[in-house]
Amino acid sequence: MIQKKLTVIPEQCSGCRICELVCAIKHFGVNNPKKAAIRVLITYPHPVVRMPIVCSQCKDPTCAKVCPTGVLRWIEGIVRLDKEGCISCNKCVEACPFGAIYAHEDCDLPIKCDMCGGDPECVKKCPKGALRLIPEAALGESKRLNNVLSYTQMKEIEFYEKGEHKVIHYAEIGKEEL
Amino acid sequence: MSIKSGYFKKHLHVNLTDGSTERRKLTDTFLEKYIGGRGFGAKLVWDNLNKHNFKIDPLGPENLLVAAPGPLTGVYLPSSGKSSFISISPATGLYGDSSIGGSFGVELRQAGIDVLSINGRAPELSVLFIDNSETTILPMPELKGTTCLEAEGIIKERLDTYAVHVAAIGVAGENMVKFACLNTDWSRNAGRTGIGAIMGSKNLKAIVVRGHKDLPIYDIKGLMTESDKASKYLKEHKYFKLWQQEGLMNVIEYANEEGILPSYNFKDSVFARHDQINGATMLAHYKIGDSACFSCPMCCGNICLVKNGKYTGTVLEGPEYESCAMLGSNLGVDNFAAILSANCLCDELGMDTISTGNVIGAVIEGYEKGILSLFDLDGKDITWGDEDAIMDLIQRIANREGIGDIIAGGSRRIIETWPEMDKIILQVKGLEQSAYDSRAGASMALAYATSDIGAHHTRAWTIAKEMEEGQNWSDEDKVEIVQYHQALRPLFDMLGVCRLPWIELGLNERHYANFYKYVTGKEVSLDQLLTLSNDIYDLTRLINTRLGVSRKDDSLPYRVRTNPALKGPNAGKVIDPEYFQKLLSLYYEKRGWDSNGVPSPEVENKFND
Repeated sequence: MIQKKLTVIPEQCSGCRICELVCAIKHFGVNNPKKAAIRVLITYPHPVVRMPIVCSQCKDPTCAKVCPTGVLRWIEGIVRLDKEGCISCNKCVEACPFGAIYAHEDCDLPIKCDMCGGDPECVKKCPKGALRLIPEAALGESKRLNNVLSYTQMKEIEFYEKGEHKVIHYAEIGKEEL
Repeated sequence: MSIKSGYFKKHLHVNLTDGSTERRKLTDTFLEKYIGGRGFGAKLVWDNLNKHNFKIDPLGPENLLVAAPGPLTGVYLPSSGKSSFISISPATGLYGDSSIGGSFGVELRQAGIDVLSINGRAPELSVLFIDNSETTILPMPELKGTTCLEAEGIIKERLDTYAVHVAAIGVAGENMVKFACLNTDWSRNAGRTGIGAIMGSKNLKAIVVRGHKDLPIYDIKGLMTESDKASKYLKEHKYFKLWQQEGLMNVIEYANEEGILPSYNFKDSVFARHDQINGATMLAHYKIGDSACFSCPMCCGNICLVKNGKYTGTVLEGPEYESCAMLGSNLGVDNFAAILSANCLCDELGMDTISTGNVIGAVIEGYEKGILSLFDLDGKDITWGDEDAIMDLIQRIANREGIGDIIAGGSRRIIETWPEMDKIILQVKGLEQSAYDSRAGASMALAYATSDIGAHHTRAWTIAKEMEEGQNWSDEDKVEIVQYHQALRPLFDMLGVCRLPWIELGLNERHYANFYKYVTGKEVSLDQLLTLSNDIYDLTRLINTRLGVSRKDDSLPYRVRTNPALKGPNAGKVIDPEYFQKLLSLYYEKRGWDSNGVPSPEVENKFND
C-alpha cells in the first residue's frame, strides 16, 4: 500500500472547524471540538493565518523520544499510541514541535491523530479541500511549481482569449499566496 | 413529549454593580417555550421590564443585556455558529437584538451556559471572563480608548492564552454611540440596535469566554445523518462555489440589476460604477482568503488586503453586501480600497456599517440641500465620494467630536436637531434602514415597517421574491410572505443557526425541525416551531407597544412614499401611503392584533409565567 500523508493547505482553510467537530465525534462520539486531534489556529490581522494543526506522523517522532513508557511508536506511516501503558503524563503534548497533540481534562489519554486508520474523517468532510491525503512522494509539488514560476525569466505573457487581451504576471503568482 | 437533552439548563446572571454572579436553573417549560436565542432574550427582557414598571433607560444600569446562543449553536450541522444579543435598544428605546456568527456562542455553550444576562454598571472599565464554571470580573482600565482588535489582543495577552473567544467594543461603544456594535472573533459584529453602546454604558469592555464541555445531544448518530444530507445538498448546489468565492458580495450585481441597490442616500437604486465595487473586483484585486463561522461550509467571509495605493496594508474580514453598499454606492464611493478602509475603520472603532453609511449619506445630502451649513459640519466640507471627508466623519462620530456628537445620537437625534432631515434620512422607529431599497416592493416596505427592531431586513427579506414574481401577488400574498419570513427567520435566531443556507442556497427548512429533534429528543414539526416563533413575535410586539409603539410608528420613511428613484428599472416608483395603510390593516388583522397594532390581553397572559 502506498503510504499517504495528511497534508494541510492553510491558504485554502476558512477556519470553519468542521474538521475539529468530525474528529471529536468519530473518536469520542461527542459534539466537542475541544476533544479533536486537529485544531484550527487562527491569527488576525497581522498575519492572517488559518492553520489546521495536526500530527505530521514524523518518522523520528519527538513525542516518542520523551515518552517515559515507550508507548508511542511509528508503525507503517502512523505514530500510534498504545493505550496499555500510557500513564497520561502528557509529556508528548508539550514536546511535539508543532503542538499537534492535545489534552483535555475529561480524557485520560493525550489526544493524537491516528489517521482514522488511513481514511481520515476530516479530509472527507473539509468543505474547502484544505486537508488532503497525498502520497509521500508527491509532497511539496504545488510549492515547487509556485517557486519555479516566481523565479522564471519569463515574467509575463500576453495572449488573447475570446478576443480579449490578457496578461499573466508569473512573478506574482507565488507572492499572492498568503 | 418533552425535552430530553440539548441544554445545560443554566442561566448565568451577572450584576456588574456589586460584582455578584449567579447560576440559575432553567425549567423545561421555559426551554420548550422559548427555545433559545432571541426567544430567551425577549422573555428575560420582558420580565425585567415588568420588574421596573416599563421605565427603563436603555443606557441605565437597570437595562438587561442578554447573550443567548440556541440549542443548535455549535452542533454538527451546516452553519451553526450563531448567537444573539438582546436588550432594550438605545437607538429605538424599544426591543432590540442583533446576531453574530463566529465561534463566540459555541464557546459560551461549551462553558455550560444556555443564556447569559448582565445588568448593573461596573465601577471601572472591566472585562467579564467566563472560564468554564468560573466567572470573574476583571477591572482593566488600561483598555480605555482601544479599538476592538487591540482590546482583543491585549486581553489575550493578559490572560496568557489565545484559546478564548472575545466579544469587545471599541471607542464608539465606550462613547455610547447609538449604533455602536459588538465585535467578536476580530471581525464578526453584532452590528445593529446599539448593543455596543449598552456594553459601554455598563463599563464593560469585553466578554471573554472559554469552555471545554461536550454539548448535550440526544441522538448524535441521527444528527450526523441529517447533517450530512444537508451538507451534501449544499455542496452540490450550482451556486455553492460562487458562494464560497464571493460570499454576500455577489449580491451587489444582483441588487443593481434589480434596481434595489441604495446609492446616493437612496436617491437612486442603481449605481453607475457598480462594477468597481462588486464581487468580481474583489476577487480580482483584493481577496486573499476565506473566512467561515463555526461549522459552515459556505464560508461567506472574505479576507481582503489592499495591495497598492494610499490604503496599502489595510486588512480586514469583509466587506459583505451591506457594508459595501452602505459605505460604497450609498455614499457615492466607487473606490473599493476606500470602502475596505472605511469598513475596517468601523470595525476597529466598533460601529455598525449600515447605520454609519446611512447617516453619513443623509448628512452629505443634507449639506447638498442646504439643510446643514458648513458651520454645522465644523467647517469641514463633505460631498459624494469624498473618501477623506467620510473617513474623517467616521472618526468624529466615534469620538463624538463636533457634529459627530449629534450624529452619534442616531437618526432620532439628527431629526430632533434638524427637523428637515426627516425627509431625507431613511429610518423606522429610530433604526436606520439597511441596504435594500423598498420603493419597488410593497412587501419589503411592510417588512421594514413591522420589523420589531426597526428598519432592518433581518426579520423579513421579501424583496428578492417580490422582484421575481411580485406582480402576480395579491395583498394577502404580500402580507402572508412577510409574516412567514417573520416567523421563519427569527426561528433561525432562536435555534442559534444561520439562515443563509436556506435563503441563499434553498436548503429545505424542514431539516431544522429534524435537527431540533435529534438534539433535544423532542419530536416537533416545523409548523410547531414556527408557532413558537410567532409567539415570540407577539412578545416583542408587546414589549414595544407597552413602551409606547402604536400604528403611527409602523411607518414608511418619507422618501419611500414621496421621492421615487430617478434611474434604473424601478425609476418612478414609490409606495402609496394609502395602499400601505391598507396592507398594514390586513397585516394586523392576520396577526390578531387590534387596529392600532396592539396584541390582545390574552396574549400578554401567555408570557407572565
